[in-house]
Amino acid sequence: MTALGSVPALIKKEFLLEWRQKYALGGIMLYVFSTIFVVYLSFVEIGPRAWNALFWIIILFASVNAITKSFIQENSTRQIYYYSLASPLAVIFSKIIYNQFLLLILSGIAFAFFALVAGNPVKDTGLFLLTTFLGSTGFSITFTFISAIAAKANNSATLMAIMSFPVIFPILMTLIKLTAGSLFLIQDSEYWRDIVILLSIDIILITLVYLLFPYLWRD
Amino acid sequence: MLKHWWKILGAVLMIYAIAAGMLVPLSPASHYVDNQRAETGQQLELTVTGYNTHYFSEEGAIRAWLRRDSAFSLCADNVSVLSERLLKLSFTIPARVYDKDEAVRFSLVVDNKKDGYSVLPEAVVVTQMPSRALIPPTCDIQDLNDGEYAFTFPFRNILEETIRNLYYHVPLWFAMILLFLISMIHSIRYLSSSELSHSIKAAEYVRVGVVYGLLGLLTGAIWAKHTWGSYWNWDLRQITAAIAMLIYLAYFVLRDSFDDEERKARLGAVFNIFAFAALIPLMFVIPRLSDSLHPGAGGNPAFGTNDLDNTMRMVFYPAIIGFMLVGVWMSQLLYRMALIKEKIIDRMD
Repeated sequence: MTALGSVPALIKKEFLLEWRQKYALGGIMLYVFSTIFVVYLSFVEIGPRAWNALFWIIILFASVNAITKSFIQENSTRQIYYYSLASPLAVIFSKIIYNQFLLLILSGIAFAFFALVAGNPVKDTGLFLLTTFLGSTGFSITFTFISAIAAKANNSATLMAIMSFPVIFPILMTLIKLTAGSLFLIQDSEYWRDIVILLSIDIILITLVYLLFPYLWRD
Repeated sequence: MLKHWWKILGAVLMIYAIAAGMLVPLSPASHYVDNQRAETGQQLELTVTGYNTHYFSEEGAIRAWLRRDSAFSLCADNVSVLSERLLKLSFTIPARVYDKDEAVRFSLVVDNKKDGYSVLPEAVVVTQMPSRALIPPTCDIQDLNDGEYAFTFPFRNILEETIRNLYYHVPLWFAMILLFLISMIHSIRYLSSSELSHSIKAAEYVRVGVVYGLLGLLTGAIWAKHTWGSYWNWDLRQITAAIAMLIYLAYFVLRDSFDDEERKARLGAVFNIFAFAALIPLMFVIPRLSDSLHPGAGGNPAFGTNDLDNTMRMVFYPAIIGFMLVGVWMSQLLYRMALIKEKIIDRMD
């Protein structure tokens, strides 16, 4: 486990970096607020079905925006310095964990603000929290990994969108279905099956990251 | 020559699948009836429209029944032939056909020597009116003919002639999965060996796989138009298939973003493996969970062995092997073209 021993220090570095560049964090927050505002102004009456779809769409776009910068914000020489200090796997895992934390905060704020303007239709809070947690895990792993690929190219913003949206679709579908269950939109007694699917997708993704990142980082 | 046997086999199987799939006729069957509602105690007149039938040549030897279930059926009183494809039947519906006073469905069975028998499920709905009468003795269905046309595809309502699409639509998807799998294996081999040839092979297998996938979407859309009513239904299967195509199109955009061959190959290989892992839940898990009109959704089997009869198997299985072999062959040709292109560019430099 010595390879991953530097993960806590690297996570701390991510927090410090974020704190020193407050504009990035503030930008994401403003992004979430203004999206919800625009959504509310254009819908006015948001039913539970639309609430479900809009909530996840807002989270989806906010996460892409928040995570795209993971590998771009620091220049390549500094990254090589990190890779020489810690194992590459520690670098990506610390970024995944940090991004998941960021996404959870982001989802919390988006939920609070969305509930404030459009009402809170969530009936089964436990299921909703679990869904959000599993969703942010999947988003964090996928987007962090894709951003590591996209960062190697010049047109990274375009690549990030075209590579990550289709790949995230199975997770997004399952999330919307599970959330529909927690809003009592559908009667589904077998929601544990969807949870198992989300969990197994997350496990497959993290395994792939573990296997593939060693080939990805070096230039 | 000997080492190319599989290419010849692939081409032969594909030509066979196209020829046999398109040319073999559908078995004769009663297609629809004009009068679908009746009440007990009535005289019911039915005009039956046949498909590929030979009513005229079999005049006098045609028998017909209305069948409630295995316990009760009615014989036609009178069968008159209007043309090869049109048949007029009359039934006397007794005062009581069912234990309860409610509507009950009857299937129509028509039989003659040349066409064999055919069943039209739920052809007539008979409303049981209140009555003290008893159910009369059943008029048994017996001595059914198998017909003189042995080599035919079954006639299915709704599907009709589009049943042939099974030999193209389904093998295209099977072959696409195989091509993507081979491509992924080449990507793994590239990462472990760093030989550029594996990277080019991976890309060319994906190229043919995407063409197969687009053809699969196209044949699916044609089928959807006939059976579901429109080319694009926003059915979950159609969405996931389209998204699978988007993932692999992104693979090409990614490869084209790099000028450096080594980077292109390495990052392409990493994304290709990732993409295949995303493809599996997309094609095999998600569509089974939600509602979809496509076979294989909501817990249905993709297609049961019941859906295929022996004649269809004789075309379907060769078609799968044929499409797979031709797909591999095309990918290898593309790979060689890419090699030649590279050599020409090198010489020009």
